[in-house]
Amino acid sequence: MNKFMSMMERYLLPAANKLNNNLYLAVLRDSFMLAFPLVIFGSIFVVIANLPYLDVILGDKAVETLRLVLDAAPNATMAIMTLFVVFGIGYNLSKHYKVEAIYGSVVAISSFLLLTPFNIKLDESGQVIGGVIPIDRLGAKGMFVGIIAGFLSTEIYRRIVQKKWTIRMPAGVPDAVSKSFSSLIPAVLTLSVFLAIRAVFLFTPWDNVHDFIYTNLQKPLLALGKGLPATLIAIFFVQLFWFFGLHGQIIVNSVFDPIWGALALENFEAFTAGAEKLPHIVNKYFIDTFTVGMGGSGMTLPVIVAIFFVAKSRQLKDLAKLAAPAGIFNVNEPIIFGLPIVLNPLILIPWIVAPLVVTAFTYFTMAIGLVPPPTGVAVPWTVPVFFNGILATNSLTGGILQIVNFVIVMIIWLPFLIIIDRQYYEKEKEQGGLK
Amino acid sequence: MKILLACCSGMSTSLLVEKMKEAAAKKGIDCEIWAVSQDKAEEEMEKADIVLLGPQMRFLKYKLEEKAKEIGIPVDVIEPIAYGRCDGEAVLNKAMELIKK
Repeated sequence: MNKFMSMMERYLLPAANKLNNNLYLAVLRDSFMLAFPLVIFGSIFVVIANLPYLDVILGDKAVETLRLVLDAAPNATMAIMTLFVVFGIGYNLSKHYKVEAIYGSVVAISSFLLLTPFNIKLDESGQVIGGVIPIDRLGAKGMFVGIIAGFLSTEIYRRIVQKKWTIRMPAGVPDAVSKSFSSLIPAVLTLSVFLAIRAVFLFTPWDNVHDFIYTNLQKPLLALGKGLPATLIAIFFVQLFWFFGLHGQIIVNSVFDPIWGALALENFEAFTAGAEKLPHIVNKYFIDTFTVGMGGSGMTLPVIVAIFFVAKSRQLKDLAKLAAPAGIFNVNEPIIFGLPIVLNPLILIPWIVAPLVVTAFTYFTMAIGLVPPPTGVAVPWTVPVFFNGILATNSLTGGILQIVNFVIVMIIWLPFLIIIDRQYYEKEKEQGGLK
Repeated sequence: MKILLACCSGMSTSLLVEKMKEAAAKKGIDCEIWAVSQDKAEEEMEKADIVLLGPQMRFLKYKLEEKAKEIGIPVDVIEPIAYGRCDGEAVLNKAMELIKK
């Protein structure tokens, strides 16, 4: 067993290292985080506008007016999420290369918009309206174009800056002036590249880059990422990394966040548009609420409760007391390193099996329509279990499903906890007897 | 003495920060201890005498070591058992030992 452990560690640590320290993945993660406060703002008002029985209390007309007013909140934040991601990529990547970050980010935004069609085709009449930026291109639909444009434009921009193809001002010219001149040539050249790409795509059957990337990259990737097999594999790796004491969530998220994020955004757009059935079961808040949101990665809150029920040993009792307050808010490092879960062969089975079973079960209840899928409304991962389930699904059944899941996790863990507890208890008795 | 702790979002290390502050107060040591999320670690390092990482983020060590050498402070990973038990005193002792070196 020891040999096996050290072998796994030898492969997993470098993998974790690569995924977490990969420049592009790190920039992407930080850029997604940038929009977080804005997304929460939008979510709060979507939740308010969709409170149950609102029409009974206020009357239909008042609700309609209220929704009309509150609509602006998500429209100014989540609906244009891709813009923030593009801005973040331009900013963070430029900062890494130590070129003027603020110019890097505005160049990224313009580059992205240069790939965006400035017209909308109306469905019914086929009429084309020009002089507009379609909002869906700035949201879920444009997510992957945005990511690609952000990275590509910043890479071109910083290379030109670093080659020093810039206009340098004599000393004595104010800093802001010389900075705007020094970014002139790099910005013009970068944007010209994107204008050329736009022009080329006009002569292809896709007409624009957005539709090309959406059909050929985003759609297939999302279809793959939202399937149950891919989700179970992702959860398996989260658990496996944690078993070796590595932060599985953050490592796996660096690959899955764009996919789960785009899926959540598509659900959100359908939800705010009043769709009866949401398109995707698996999305960012499926993962955050129904796996992480039960006491942290690996659903350890039920484990703490189970310890309170069965533990006789001092060690486990003390641990559960120490871990419970943090566990309620889904922080579980005390359990992971204190039980310990890390490198504990006895724990490996429930640690990996319980989340997989619960994930599959949750997927199943949503697939048959017992519980609605998460609406894409952002729920911070520190919101306690039950409440986060209700908020994420906009339905009481989301919270009830979590309670069922809670019991499933406890049942899977119980036999293993009893064995560990007995071991600790015997040891404590021995040590107590020696004194 | 200024001790910086870093983990994923600075949440679980902040549990430890409280315990370390208690331990420091008991010993009568004057020190500043704070926790940050991993993306802030590189900036905050400049204000610290030592950086300690949550064991679950030990892969960050490679990334931070370069900058740490530049400003001449040690980077270390917190011992997992002490981390799990939130043993503030043990972590504080280790930190003081490393700073003295």
